[in-house]
Amino acid sequence: MNSEQKNDNASSVLNALDLWKVFAKGIWKENPVAYQVLGICSALAVTVQMKTAIVMGIALSLVTGASSLIISLLRKKIPPTIRIIVELAVIASLVIVTDQILKAFLFDISKQLSVFVGLIITNCIVLGRAESFALANPPVPSLLDGLGNGAGYALVLMIVAFVRELLGSGKISGFSVVPQWLFDAGYSNMGLMVLAPGAFFVIGFLVWIKNSIQGVSHEEKI
Amino acid sequence: MSDSSISDKSGLPSKRNERIYALKFAAVISFVCCMLLTGASVGLKGYQLENMELDRQKNILEAAGIIHQEDNPSKIQIRQIYREKIEEVYVNQDGSTVADKTKAEESPEPENRLPFSEDLPKSENLLPLYLYKEYADAQSGLKFVKAYIIPVESRGLWGKIYGYLAFENDGVTIAGFTVYSHSETPGLGGEIEKAWFQKNFVGKKIVDSANDFVSISIAKGQASTLPEDERQNYVDGISGATLTGKYLTQGLKKNLEQYEAVSVRFRQGKQLE
Repeated sequence: MNSEQKNDNASSVLNALDLWKVFAKGIWKENPVAYQVLGICSALAVTVQMKTAIVMGIALSLVTGASSLIISLLRKKIPPTIRIIVELAVIASLVIVTDQILKAFLFDISKQLSVFVGLIITNCIVLGRAESFALANPPVPSLLDGLGNGAGYALVLMIVAFVRELLGSGKISGFSVVPQWLFDAGYSNMGLMVLAPGAFFVIGFLVWIKNSIQGVSHEEKI
Repeated sequence: MSDSSISDKSGLPSKRNERIYALKFAAVISFVCCMLLTGASVGLKGYQLENMELDRQKNILEAAGIIHQEDNPSKIQIRQIYREKIEEVYVNQDGSTVADKTKAEESPEPENRLPFSEDLPKSENLLPLYLYKEYADAQSGLKFVKAYIIPVESRGLWGKIYGYLAFENDGVTIAGFTVYSHSETPGLGGEIEKAWFQKNFVGKKIVDSANDFVSISIAKGQASTLPEDERQNYVDGISGATLTGKYLTQGLKKNLEQYEAVSVRFRQGKQLE
């Protein structure tokens, strides 16, 4: 695992395989939600429905990718004393632009996402990738690292939203899938899944499943 | 670790130079970000305003019970229904409509019309009002006011709450309530935008059993626990959002008092034309 990290840092060896590894790392092995346990707040808030989860996942991926790219381009210019402020200024600007675009073209969804798009600014994933990867790596791997982590976040959000929407309201992406006869037979939607605690349970199960798969456990690495 | 690598590359500048560089860099970054944000804000403003206007119209239609949230009507449908059924008028303090301000802009082209604005009449002591008109019978083309909708502006816990309250033409019964803009806490006060909360308003009354004006209030807890004669003036509260409920209650009362003259006219059976 350590050798792989060194590969990432050595910018001279940049073949397609390495780039793919950088991208894929964020999706599965070091998934920001399931492994790094970052971005939980928004993961709880926007996962009642698939639709909002997908839009949030795309928005965060784009912001993380773009901010990593920009910060990586500037990495030799950014004065270390005001490093975090500069990173936050870049991230905040990107988030506000994203929010404006959503308000202009996806108004209903932006209303449902309410404050949480704005809160991407404080999402640890974005600043975390800027700090730990983009500042030390060239632009292309940084972009892929950002997109990969965003995609990992989006993946978890979609799984959580899928489970919550299915069990909580009997729907998948807005379409009812639980047949009426099942309700007649005494089945009812789990109210808990619609509430925030439901998301905690689902994320907890996800982390458990991920860690019980050989070779990716948090504990093993330490 | 990354810090040292960066300052090494910039050629070991003196402390003073380093600070000046940091300031310059901050200024440039601020400027670029400013331009980016201004550009996005100005460039997208048209679309956003259009969306907000449409959302307002949708909320008016929802408050009047013409369309429902789960129907998911398209933009064109909303515009069409709105133009067909809703009439925007101004009313005087005594509840009568102001004729010249509404009739002058009957032109079918919306661009040629005087823009109707909820903000405009405040200076002239006029109140904006929306009338939901339905054909009395298809042949004659005569219309009657089926419901009227008042804009609601209230203080909330974190910011203003904007919405619409619709009444049946008896001037007493609430036909619906919607909120289109607020900044309450999602999951707590934010529940005011949810259908379950807004549904409770339907059928409630703004007068007590003696037919005197009392406004509509948000109960602490369930409205069904209140004495029988008060139940018609209360809707179920939101647990964990006592203050939002309190401010919205005050705001609704203030708005309803302003429009009481209009409601009285409806109660007396004087239809607004």
